[in-house]
Amino acid sequence: MAEIAIWGVIAGLGLATFATRLSFLALLGEAELPRWLKQILHYVPPAILAAIVAPQLLAGAPGLAATLDGPRTAAALAGLAVAWASRSTFATIAAGMAVLWALTLVQW
Amino acid sequence: MNPADRQQAFLAGARACIPLSPGVLLFGMVCGAAAAGAGLTPGQSFALSWMVFAGSSQIVATQLFAAGAPGWVIVLTGWVVNLRFMMYSASLAQPFRGESRGARWLAGYLLTDQAFGVTLARQLDGRRDIPWFFLGIAATLWLLWQIASLAGIYLGARVPPRWSIDFVVALTFIGVLAPLLRDRALAAAALAGGLVSIYLDLPLKLNLMAAALVGAAVGIGMERLWPKSQSGA
Repeated sequence: MAEIAIWGVIAGLGLATFATRLSFLALLGEAELPRWLKQILHYVPPAILAAIVAPQLLAGAPGLAATLDGPRTAAALAGLAVAWASRSTFATIAAGMAVLWALTLVQW
Repeated sequence: MNPADRQQAFLAGARACIPLSPGVLLFGMVCGAAAAGAGLTPGQSFALSWMVFAGSSQIVATQLFAAGAPGWVIVLTGWVVNLRFMMYSASLAQPFRGESRGARWLAGYLLTDQAFGVTLARQLDGRRDIPWFFLGIAATLWLLWQIASLAGIYLGARVPPRWSIDFVVALTFIGVLAPLLRDRALAAAALAGGLVSIYLDLPLKLNLMAAALVGAAVGIGMERLWPKSQSGA
């Protein structure tokens, strides 16, 4: 992508995000969100977070023939368990990386 | 509120971000390092950090830049990741009712998950100093984020690839995701999103958009099927 286009994308995403943050604080005035919008906003974060994580557990590219990478999947499950129990991002990262490094060292 | 009370509330907010700082610093460094590693210049990487100022969508934009996605897909996908700010903005509008336009615009610019989460807890405790407490924690988090980003941008390239440090991104997201899985419908939305992004390989890198749409549809569908699983949120 051309230099100027990259700057355009960063500024565009920045402005769109800023407008979303300002929406009810400053632009639209106080209002109750419509129920359908609340529902969508409720479910988009878990869906998109899982969608960001999942492809990083694959041995190759996404697609119908996708296969999981052993060490990364095991590390992700360990991280999920620790995240669930501890609610600490720091502990999650430490546990997951420890599992990943250990499995990589023993040449899974 | 008189100026002394405002100052006190602001400082209480700044102190409240101390327990959050290890996670924020680490995530900020990861975002900075990821942007620089994806081939963005240091200036562009830092612009993501202060113009977008939202870790998840910075990571998404970074990955899409690296994958060669068209600009409009990057903006659209990054924006969908940030739609949740609309909920927070609606919730903060009431406590900020009496504040100046400048304070409200500043609060909007600084709005993040963590600043909102901690402030909401204080609001539910019945405290009245919400706006200045929020500005205190949000501004402090902003400062930490920018410092961490710069550190990540300049130090990230020195980490050897065999350390698989890129996996910290996935683990950070797992850390954010786990507390969201409070009921069956939310877990189903996450599962659907994950499966779509694994098995679907859409042109123009529209996978994440598709995952968000399918995940939301599945979550809402589950809620209809089992209305009891609906949380109070």
